[in-house]
Amino acid sequence: MKKRGIGLGSIFFSIGYGFSRPDFCAATVEISPNGSVIGRSGEVDYGQGSDTIFCQIVAEVLGVRPDTIKLITADTLVTPDAGPTSASRLTYVMGNAVLKASQTLKKTLQSVAEGILGEKDLLFVDEEVYSETHPEKHISFKVLAKECHNRELPMVETGWHEITTEDVDPETGQGNAYATYAYATQLAEVEVDTETGKVEVLRIVAATDVGKAINPSNVEAQIEGGIVMGLGYALTEEIKLDRGYIQTKSLGDYMIPTSMDIPYIETHIIEIPVSTGPYGAKGVGEPALIPTAPAILNAIANALDVRVTDLPANLENLHRLIREKGD
Amino acid sequence: MQHFEFYTARHIEDALTFLSEKGERCKVIAGGTDLIPALRKEDIHPDFVLNVLELRSLNGITELNHSIRIGSTVTFTEMVESDILSHFFPSLVQAAASVGSPQIRNRGTIGGNIANASPAADVLPAILALDGELELESKKLGTRRLPLSEAIVAPYRAQFRQDEILTGIFIKKLESGTRSAFTKLGRRNAMARARMNLSVILRLNNEEVVEELKIVPGAVMPVAKRMERAEKMLIGKKPETSVVEATATAIVEEIVERTGVRWSTEYKVPVMKSLSKRILGELLT
Repeated sequence: MKKRGIGLGSIFFSIGYGFSRPDFCAATVEISPNGSVIGRSGEVDYGQGSDTIFCQIVAEVLGVRPDTIKLITADTLVTPDAGPTSASRLTYVMGNAVLKASQTLKKTLQSVAEGILGEKDLLFVDEEVYSETHPEKHISFKVLAKECHNRELPMVETGWHEITTEDVDPETGQGNAYATYAYATQLAEVEVDTETGKVEVLRIVAATDVGKAINPSNVEAQIEGGIVMGLGYALTEEIKLDRGYIQTKSLGDYMIPTSMDIPYIETHIIEIPVSTGPYGAKGVGEPALIPTAPAILNAIANALDVRVTDLPANLENLHRLIREKGD
Repeated sequence: MQHFEFYTARHIEDALTFLSEKGERCKVIAGGTDLIPALRKEDIHPDFVLNVLELRSLNGITELNHSIRIGSTVTFTEMVESDILSHFFPSLVQAAASVGSPQIRNRGTIGGNIANASPAADVLPAILALDGELELESKKLGTRRLPLSEAIVAPYRAQFRQDEILTGIFIKKLESGTRSAFTKLGRRNAMARARMNLSVILRLNNEEVVEELKIVPGAVMPVAKRMERAEKMLIGKKPETSVVEATATAIVEEIVERTGVRWSTEYKVPVMKSLSKRILGELLT
């Protein structure tokens, strides 16, 4: 028999390391005499899109195209320390460092442009700098960059941002351990074959508070990717040990979901800006995946009236629980 | 990295001569979805690898008077897309469609699946339920036929001679009114080894009495095999619920007899019984 159920998973989750552990990022932004922009940071874009965020923030501040910015990242010889790429922290911490470096550079550019154009209400848009009230007064970003170099002004700036928090009270464990928190809720709809223990996830609806989606399609993909990880965690992925020796020796045995296992996913990006984040943004990496397994397990409980307490809820484990319930 | 001579034969005589000369130092490749991983893992160390994909007589699906011939290098994708197979043997098409992923189905062949003789092979139960016969060719014996049920008696050990090439599979057309089905249970919906699979052929006569029945579970025993004792419980009878129940019980009893009680038995027995009842129920409605 096939039974259906729906379940909810809700989380709040910390961004960064918290508990007074060192948590900082450095980034540099450089403008060449020809107006090209180079960014450097120890951050690692392993697919989550932090390079894109880096470029977008620089572009937003300096009014240049994000795809023209050259990035040098994750090279300890030439890039400043950004700490580990973990804890859903890069947008929140590195993003601020990049913002600061870009804003410092913009101040230099602004003062030179003010002198040349004789106006103070300057906008940096589309590789041009112009007066908002007298738009006929303008200078190209490229020419302005050269002018700054001619005046021997610093055209490389370092932004440094730290979010290290106070530790909690060692006696009571009370306190605010982290710099900020993300919130997420997911709804799962499943169909369980009660005779085989096979779970088919039919639909996941995800609502994730990211503060501000600096790149909405990037955030959407992060949420979808997180859900796929959460789905494998809930249903199939398992590392088997035998007296301490790992028996799951390849991806042939460690079952991650394939494209044929991924349900319909509906994502809702919730934007409640956090004052300490760049443009109000905070992390999305882990918050995207954590609600999925509880939502699926609650949906299974809703369908079968059995409670899975050991992951994964694979064929054998779920079938055993159904047998033990016995009806 | 392994070193071997890769030889692509252009004519069947050419291939048979090559194989008879090289003997056990030679492995035949017919897609490579099993052979290449085995080579990379260094489970095997052949000096020669004989490619049979260019041999015309090993290609294609042909309708004959009373049977269908499937060339041994026909891919799973070709089987899935074949109008002939969809018409005559839908269960075999279902089995082929359940193999791996599109990439594996595009590369892997029916002949390779048989010759590798994995206990979890997806098309073996379907062909066994259809009483398929293998066509084997060698320089010494010429062409001979061997029922699939006699060709595989131990896991990963097809009973071919060292100098023989599997050239085709013959399956007799079913009597009209015969129904066939295949089902597979895996841990995920693609790229999954069968946790268990099952193929059944069934025909009722005009009095709704079971006249023909073949039941082959796969991936639950060292070698997929027809469950003749269970079949006999239903043949000649009207398929009432209690008889179907007894048949399903007989299937799992025979499986346990063959494998003994293992860690997986407590899962496999009730689930195989459910799948058996389900597939028989589908074929009887």
